[in-house]
Amino acid sequence: MTSGTATARQRGGSGWRRALAPRSAGVVYALFALVLVLTITSSVQSRPSYLSSVNVSNILDQASLTGILAIFMTVVLITGNFDLSVASTAALAGTVALKLIDQHGAVLALVAALLTGVLVGLINGVLVQKVGVNSFIVTLGTLTAVRGVVEAILNGQSITATDAVFERFETAHWTMPQGLAIGGGTVLIAAGVAFTVRARLRQLTAGNVMLMGAGAVLLAIGAFRPLLLDETAPVWLMLGITVVTSLVLRYTVVGRNLYAVGGNPEAARLSGINIDRYKMGAFVLNGFVAAAVGVLYAGKFDSVDPTVLTGSELTVIAAAVLGGTSPFGGSGYVAKSVIGTLILFTLSNGFNVLNIGSNYQDVVQGAVLVAAASLYTATSTRGRGFITSALARRRKAKPQPPPVTGAGQPSPAELGTRS
Amino acid sequence: MPDNPDGPREPIFVVSDVHKIYSSGTHALRGVSLAVRPGSVHGLIGANGAGKSTLIRIMSGVETATSGTVSWHGEPVSWTAPGQALAAGLAAVHQHTPLVSTLSVLGNVFLGRKDSIRWDAARREAQLRALCERMDYDIHPQRTIGELSTGGKQMVAILQALARDAQFVLLDEPTAALSPHERDVLFRSIRRLRDQGTAFVYVSHFLDEILDLTDRLTVLRDGQVIVDAATSEVNKQDLVTAIVGQRLAPVELQNASSQGSTGEPLLVVDELSSPGRFGPISLTVHAGEVVGLAGLLGSGRTELLEAIYGADRSASGSVRIGSHRLRHRSPRAAVRAGLALVPEDRARQGLLRDWEIWRNISLPYLSSMSRRRLLPDRRREREVADQAIADLDIKTPSADAPVGELSGGNAQKVVFAKWLYGPARVFLLDEPSAGVDVGAKADISQLIRRLARAGQGVLIVSSEFEELLGACDRILVIRRGQIISERPVVDTDLHELTALASGL
Repeated sequence: MTSGTATARQRGGSGWRRALAPRSAGVVYALFALVLVLTITSSVQSRPSYLSSVNVSNILDQASLTGILAIFMTVVLITGNFDLSVASTAALAGTVALKLIDQHGAVLALVAALLTGVLVGLINGVLVQKVGVNSFIVTLGTLTAVRGVVEAILNGQSITATDAVFERFETAHWTMPQGLAIGGGTVLIAAGVAFTVRARLRQLTAGNVMLMGAGAVLLAIGAFRPLLLDETAPVWLMLGITVVTSLVLRYTVVGRNLYAVGGNPEAARLSGINIDRYKMGAFVLNGFVAAAVGVLYAGKFDSVDPTVLTGSELTVIAAAVLGGTSPFGGSGYVAKSVIGTLILFTLSNGFNVLNIGSNYQDVVQGAVLVAAASLYTATSTRGRGFITSALARRRKAKPQPPPVTGAGQPSPAELGTRS
Repeated sequence: MPDNPDGPREPIFVVSDVHKIYSSGTHALRGVSLAVRPGSVHGLIGANGAGKSTLIRIMSGVETATSGTVSWHGEPVSWTAPGQALAAGLAAVHQHTPLVSTLSVLGNVFLGRKDSIRWDAARREAQLRALCERMDYDIHPQRTIGELSTGGKQMVAILQALARDAQFVLLDEPTAALSPHERDVLFRSIRRLRDQGTAFVYVSHFLDEILDLTDRLTVLRDGQVIVDAATSEVNKQDLVTAIVGQRLAPVELQNASSQGSTGEPLLVVDELSSPGRFGPISLTVHAGEVVGLAGLLGSGRTELLEAIYGADRSASGSVRIGSHRLRHRSPRAAVRAGLALVPEDRARQGLLRDWEIWRNISLPYLSSMSRRRLLPDRRREREVADQAIADLDIKTPSADAPVGELSGGNAQKVVFAKWLYGPARVFLLDEPSAGVDVGAKADISQLIRRLARAGQGVLIVSSEFEELLGACDRILVIRRGQIISERPVVDTDLHELTALASGL
């Protein structure tokens, strides 16, 4: 048993190393690198500091609503489905809310809007899970049809509301007390250390690394950048939802089953999991959240027009894919999808700040997305990407010195390409 | 053996002294010789792993022999791709012939033809219709493969081979998926083409078909030819002995220990049937009893297990676990009632490859290992996994290893472990030792006996009847969707089971 424990310790020891490897944390490094490049460029051009609190808050605020959508898009992708209809659903919910708010009050408007979202999600879920139509096609249909409903309601006009409840909420600033930030950051770091020390094998797990990382960021902001503690409500909402959803996915039966249902539906079903319930649940939840985001978006300007949020579903999916979510289901992390969103918005913000022609913005965003996806596929142990096989071939072709310690054994990557 | 009296013609295809050794070291064929004459049907039989499939692959050019010669019309050939064999005039119907499911019957029958650059649909359709008329078989040329039954697809594969006017046709288990009518059509066509001079090699588990159809037969066992004789000279009992060999003694010895008293009925299946898969079947498994379901591929054995487990929604009839009758037909209801399933295809149906051992094991009863049934207790999950690794002797560095990295036998033990630490009372095992090495096989059969001793009920499906004889108290034989016989294990042997399951 001792030898087994020793090997376990070895494997466990690589837990944080794996967590910080480019494959799993690449999106974080990409964000760092991007911010670094933009900061250097703007200081070379002697423009105002790119990392100023105002600009950072600005990016966060711009990214917040898309980030929230990306979180739940990730959940749908984890269950092995696809939802293209989010932006249309959000637009419809915003329209419904603004149509109703002046006559029937904010509460009823909000409830009606959210129910609209749930309804669209339910339609998606039933068609995909009960009827068995491919989710890409179903949601392509609802994307178009729901947008059509928006156009029918608005009839080519934009509408505005006088009751500004949603606007007040959307633009409200919440400030975290500096003491809370410093205290909270310290507590998080302490908790990370405590968990690591108390763990059975005293190993630094990926979760503890993240816990301490988050604590360090919070502590640093509290101590050195208190201005950043003042953010708009959607930003706090996005951060809160990220934390809660991550915890649910990682630490609850529901989360575990969501991954199982996407990773191998047949095995999950034969293990007694009701896969329809989870997959449909993800669609309904996504519709609900899309509706909430739609209400906030409409509230931002207290007006909607027929083209509101057109094309946003692609940004949302791009963010999730940038974050490493598998389009085939079974894997993905909501926090990384949020970081993916931040990358996309940092890019567009950078183009504005540096005053580079916005003509090239889409080219760069598209290139970044494809590059990220290629990287994930090529470095995937099970990918059949030609880079992996080329590397494997080169490794094999290289005249090997007599194998030292099991060097002759094929690595998992090679096995993956062969099988 | 003397020469076949009605075979004065030169053999069209001769295999002599062929050996095949795979890179893994498996010695699949040890000097096999075979001669097929025009205008004859040559039967090829043998148990699982006897080398039939390897021989078929070598004959059809899918694989090459390690040593020995293959000659076609007296000329030695070394085909390295199926296309070369096809061009020479040899067509093969494999067990799972790949068809393009989005194309029509017509498109599939003439798939890959290069005789003219233009796709002359009208001419092809006329050709196909003429062929169908000759065979007296009715199929619409424009139907898409995807909408055909399994039998229909198999018939298309057969049509594909026959439409080439090949001189030599290999048929590997062609009837496993066919309806009786389709089988008759096939047999008539084979006989008619044989009389016109076509040579056939016919592989089947169904001995009645072999005796009925073939002129000559070869029995393979452990990669060697045991019998090569004219069918009329072969006695049925000798045939079974030739197939199974003399490996009976040790099995019966082992079995004596598993004889225990059995308790009240645990699993009661009453008139369960699924249209087109298996007929109404009733069976009972008692507490502490191991029941075997002996059947060949395509007998409906897997479909029956899936229906008991609630995975087949079109099934009708009733399933009771103890006193609890399963009302909803779903695996979820079955798991809650205390059923456990170890499925046939563990990679596709049993495991999440990327998940660690501990997460795979806790999947079915995750809520019971969770605080407030919602928050999984990882410490407990790992404890259970460590327990399973120790109990079942799973070879792995730790419970954190992804199951995709385990060998077949160890992965199969993980599938078992999923059900061992929960309330499951009845275990349905589908080919529990398929693709498992000898050591793990022994561990698994020990585990099955332990389950029975602990008062659980076990129902095993297997095509390796020796395994059933070693593990079971009672054996039911299933053939063509019906239970045709029930035998206490002490009153039966490999001979009888093989004969019953293959329809003698």
